[in-house]
Amino acid sequence: MTVFDYIWLGILAVFQGPEAFSLFGVAISMTIVMVLSGFLLGIAVGATPGLAGPMAMAISLPILISVFGFSPDALLPVMGFLIGVMKGATIGGAVPAILFNTPGTPDSYMTTLDGYPMTRAGYAKKALKIAHFSSATGDTFSDIVLILTAPFLALLVEAYLDLPEKTALLIFSLGFIASVVGGSVGKGVISMGLGLLAVFIGTGEDFYPRLSMGTQALAQGFPIATSVLGVLVLGEVFKSLDDLWQDRRNTRETQAPTQAADQSLRWSDIRKLLPYIGRSAVIGTAIGALPGIGSTLAATMGYGSSARRHAAKRPEATQFGQGAAEGIAATEAANSSVSGANMIPVLSLGIPGNAAAVFLILATESIGGFNPGPTVFKFTTDTVNPELVMAFGLFTIMMIANLFNWTIGGAFMRVVGVMARVPKHLLLPVVLMLTLTAIYVQETRLSAMWAAIGFGLLGYLMRRVGMSPLPFVIAFILGDKLEETARQAFAATGGDPWFLFTNPIAAVLVGLTLLVLVLAIRKPTEIKP
Amino acid sequence: MDVDTGLIEQVRRRVTIGDSLAPTVAAGVIGLGALILLIGGERVPSGSLSGANLWFIALLLVCFAVGFALMRWTGPAAVWVANTFTGQDLDYRPLRDTAPWKYLGFVAGCTFVIAALISAVQGRLTLQALLVGLGASLAMIAVFDWPFDNLLLPPNGDV
Repeated sequence: MTVFDYIWLGILAVFQGPEAFSLFGVAISMTIVMVLSGFLLGIAVGATPGLAGPMAMAISLPILISVFGFSPDALLPVMGFLIGVMKGATIGGAVPAILFNTPGTPDSYMTTLDGYPMTRAGYAKKALKIAHFSSATGDTFSDIVLILTAPFLALLVEAYLDLPEKTALLIFSLGFIASVVGGSVGKGVISMGLGLLAVFIGTGEDFYPRLSMGTQALAQGFPIATSVLGVLVLGEVFKSLDDLWQDRRNTRETQAPTQAADQSLRWSDIRKLLPYIGRSAVIGTAIGALPGIGSTLAATMGYGSSARRHAAKRPEATQFGQGAAEGIAATEAANSSVSGANMIPVLSLGIPGNAAAVFLILATESIGGFNPGPTVFKFTTDTVNPELVMAFGLFTIMMIANLFNWTIGGAFMRVVGVMARVPKHLLLPVVLMLTLTAIYVQETRLSAMWAAIGFGLLGYLMRRVGMSPLPFVIAFILGDKLEETARQAFAATGGDPWFLFTNPIAAVLVGLTLLVLVLAIRKPTEIKP
Repeated sequence: MDVDTGLIEQVRRRVTIGDSLAPTVAAGVIGLGALILLIGGERVPSGSLSGANLWFIALLLVCFAVGFALMRWTGPAAVWVANTFTGQDLDYRPLRDTAPWKYLGFVAGCTFVIAALISAVQGRLTLQALLVGLGASLAMIAVFDWPFDNLLLPPNGDV
């Protein structure tokens, strides 16, 4: 088996998987249908203020698993749908930002600054076309970087990192995420500690399930879907409902401005936008590759960097914040280029970098047969490594999603503008019950719904006191893995309690963790989850 | 601590990590975060929890408690009423996967929670809130129940 054989097998796994239907005698695979469905749903969800890609991914997951089951054949269609949602939601967020001055997702806030002035000036369609073109370009660039770097990073990790170093890498990742996510290092660290504490309940190697207080409910531990959906989705819904309850006001009605006749995006326009798109795509990809730093920071940095350059180089042109097409391009290219790059730590290290990646990892854990991490990229020549085939299948899925984005994404974006008019106070209670029902059909216990509400309240309180819930969720996902790796490292080093400091690479990673913490304390960040 | 093994254990002359170590480390991490906040190395504004927020949480919990009680008991109550009129001796448990019985609790509880929350936000009970709740519960039945034989809607896994 050569590398090219693996790539070809990955492509075939997507195109020759289970057949959905036949079109003019050509079998259309279920995976492709699911990528398209997820992508269109993602655009609609992104275009709806109050909803976000991770919410749709969370609610879809139990339904997808019920449809496709737990067989290896299920992985590509399920992941295809989720990746489609992730990509679609990113570009969908620009729609209400441009048309109604309401960001559909937090990372499209900067798009409102120039998108809505363009709409008011009569160029709504053109603004949407610019957002789509920039988003698709940034996304494609990021995916190419992912495909080129993830396998090499994984090979490096596998070649140079043994058990103590892998333990240190997990500690570094958690420390990094806790330090950079949210506005407070102390709160990020507490959030991470709470996540670790929660995942250690009811687990362990002893016969007695630890911290279970002798109860059967705690002895089984908290199911990962219940806690993650509770903290991430229900916590957000509770906070939004509370805000609406306090405000007691509905979405403002907006007057539709008169639109210009010529809304086409010409090559001369694109040529002017390309430097801004390129700069933002690089910024977004670099930020996306770091775990924990999300697309909102990428959009802010892409916008800020391009705004300074624009003001210096083209002082005579429309400036950022006043309806500059370049402002939309810079923001959308930056936030979209995060979605491919954030798969780099997922696939090469098994570490989720943001909420969307959390649900991709949850899907692989639920279905089984594919464990994201360095072992995925083990090139075996005598036997087939099925995980590597799946990895190339995932890359193929991402490129198919990009193809849909380039071909029909723009047209669909213009259609879903109506979603921005759905009132939040009607939508959020429905999302709440939809999430609870999705949890119930997996766990079939009312106590699981109460547990999710408990985690939702925890997520709500975290948001209220300015604590990001993302370190909690990532610690919850990685906690078991951290303990298992540490146990193995301890055993492999003959019970050396200093194994994190006696191996040079592990010691460097632990040192880096402390350095990141100290630097973050000295200079508080402004990054939001 | 509610753990049977210590930080480090010796099993058959081999030293291993005990079950206490991981929760101790987690507690230490929380303590470290608190220390960072306490020593005042941070210059960012902190959020707060107001009395109105606590009222909202109480309201939310009441909505869930009533909604889940409706969800749990509407089906069995309906069977009891049916028995009274028909003279039969039916039990809800064998009917929990049979329409329309299996939908009664879900529709009642789900509609209540959605309508109550919409009404709370709007400040008044409206027909619109009830219709949205009812429509959403029927849509969820269509999504989670009709296509799948192996999924149980709430509360049918508990009864």
